[in-house]
Amino acid sequence: MTQIPVLPFERSGHDRVLAGVCGGLASTLGVDATLVRLVFALLALAGGAGILLYFALWVYDDGRRTWPAAALVAAAAVSLLLALGFSGTAVLGSGLIVAGFAVVLTRGGSVRQGGSLPVLAIVLMMAGALTVLGHIGTSRSFIGPGAVAGALLLVLGPWFWQLRRERVERIRLEERAEVAARIHDSVLQTLALIQRHSQDAARVSAVARRQERELRRWLYGSGVGAAVTLADGLADAAADVEDLYGVRIELATAGDLPLDESLEPLVLAAREAMTNAAKFSAADEISVYLEADGENVAVFVHDRGVGFDRASVPADRRGLAESIEGRMRRSGGTAAVTSAPGAGTEVELTLPRSRR
Amino acid sequence: MIRVVLVDDHELFRAGVRGELGAAVEIAGEAGSVAEAVPLIRELDPDVVLLDVHLPDGGGEGVIAAVAPERPGVKFLALSVSDAAEDVIGVIRAGARGYVTKTISSEELTDAVQRVADGDAVFSPRLAGFVLDAFREGARVGDDAELENLTPREREVLQLIARGYRYKEIAARLHLSVKTVEAHVSSVLRKLQLSSRAELTRWAHERRLI
Repeated sequence: MTQIPVLPFERSGHDRVLAGVCGGLASTLGVDATLVRLVFALLALAGGAGILLYFALWVYDDGRRTWPAAALVAAAAVSLLLALGFSGTAVLGSGLIVAGFAVVLTRGGSVRQGGSLPVLAIVLMMAGALTVLGHIGTSRSFIGPGAVAGALLLVLGPWFWQLRRERVERIRLEERAEVAARIHDSVLQTLALIQRHSQDAARVSAVARRQERELRRWLYGSGVGAAVTLADGLADAAADVEDLYGVRIELATAGDLPLDESLEPLVLAAREAMTNAAKFSAADEISVYLEADGENVAVFVHDRGVGFDRASVPADRRGLAESIEGRMRRSGGTAAVTSAPGAGTEVELTLPRSRR
Repeated sequence: MIRVVLVDDHELFRAGVRGELGAAVEIAGEAGSVAEAVPLIRELDPDVVLLDVHLPDGGGEGVIAAVAPERPGVKFLALSVSDAAEDVIGVIRAGARGYVTKTISSEELTDAVQRVADGDAVFSPRLAGFVLDAFREGARVGDDAELENLTPREREVLQLIARGYRYKEIAARLHLSVKTVEAHVSSVLRKLQLSSRAELTRWAHERRLI
């Protein structure tokens, strides 16, 4: 049950004419008590609304008796509206709608996922709406469809929220896969390198420091770093792989693009392809070619090494399936791998430019 | 044996190339600047000049411009660490028969020198990329449309070069003879050198500003 927010109001002990209500309200609102009394006096002339409101605040007494106060406020509102010349039907209609909201507020009904509105609230609001609409002369042919639409909205609302939530969940899972791929590319690779070179203290320390820098930049920094264009990004990636594995990477470009977030998966997938070539191909040179034309961005990573048979790649090697193919798929692109034992390997990554 | 002159301001690099090529070619002479190189090449009249794009007193372009008119038989192969398109395109436009990066393996460098001496063109992957970019599809049809555009086949060959394939591999992939592949590359080189399109030069300069 939702708690009605408590108005910080206490009757004044010293600034009082009758019960200290006006004095207390004045100090709460930070205005002169005389002004408050004047307003109450004017409201009293409007069908006695001011008097009812005064009593409401009296019994309210800093949130100790909420319900009687609310009833009195409602009565005050009704008398005010009637005094201002609204018809009884209009007042009844709007009263019903307000009562419906009050039920939602107190019963904790929700239009969010999984929640539903209390039936009482729906009935009250529909009745109020019909009363008001009927009173202001809207034709019956409008009220019928309107009521159906309103009912549908109230019933379907929670369902739409549910759908939205599922979408958010899916995005979250994709992000998780991206993080996993990232960790695989960086931290796990570094740990494998450290194990292999555990005798070489200088190398281990250099690799670890470098990994720390990378991870920090990814977690807290700009992600891709200082590179401004896609070619820069690929050059950085190539330099990293050259450093780590002692291979030579030749980068050729035809066209370039400003490096933005949408191109980051492409750079990372290309980096992983270079890493794979450096680790498994036994070739001492890797060629990387970037081609950016009007429709597509393509990156080719090619080596003249030992090649491999796709079927013989162990399923637990996530590099190709996840860090390259999965990553490109998630970002709306494709990855094609051409390889055969003894015939080298070429990975072609493409990303449609229209998605950018 | 092919007679080669090395022009590079880095002594260490010249020593390296000399060691790598020594067995396959005759290193006839070495120079470290434009001022040294021009008289040396005139005097020695080698088959091939391995030319650094950047020299302290000017570029490789200056050497080609000063020597080529008098010694039309000398072939120039540009060799550079430079990544700048305007340098690469500039030296090719000046008359070099090819461009390779200094990271090239000795086996490939020997092959490139041989190829240039035979009158063929040698494109590194990087140069192929630059050329593809400069001759973009949909380029305007100028005074001489044949010179302004690459044929689809030339484009295909260049793309494979950019992706790191050798001529022999390209020939196998495209079901062509190696000679035909070489002819396509030479044709691209000719277009690169003869094309009047101002775009080419402008492209090379603008590219630096990206």
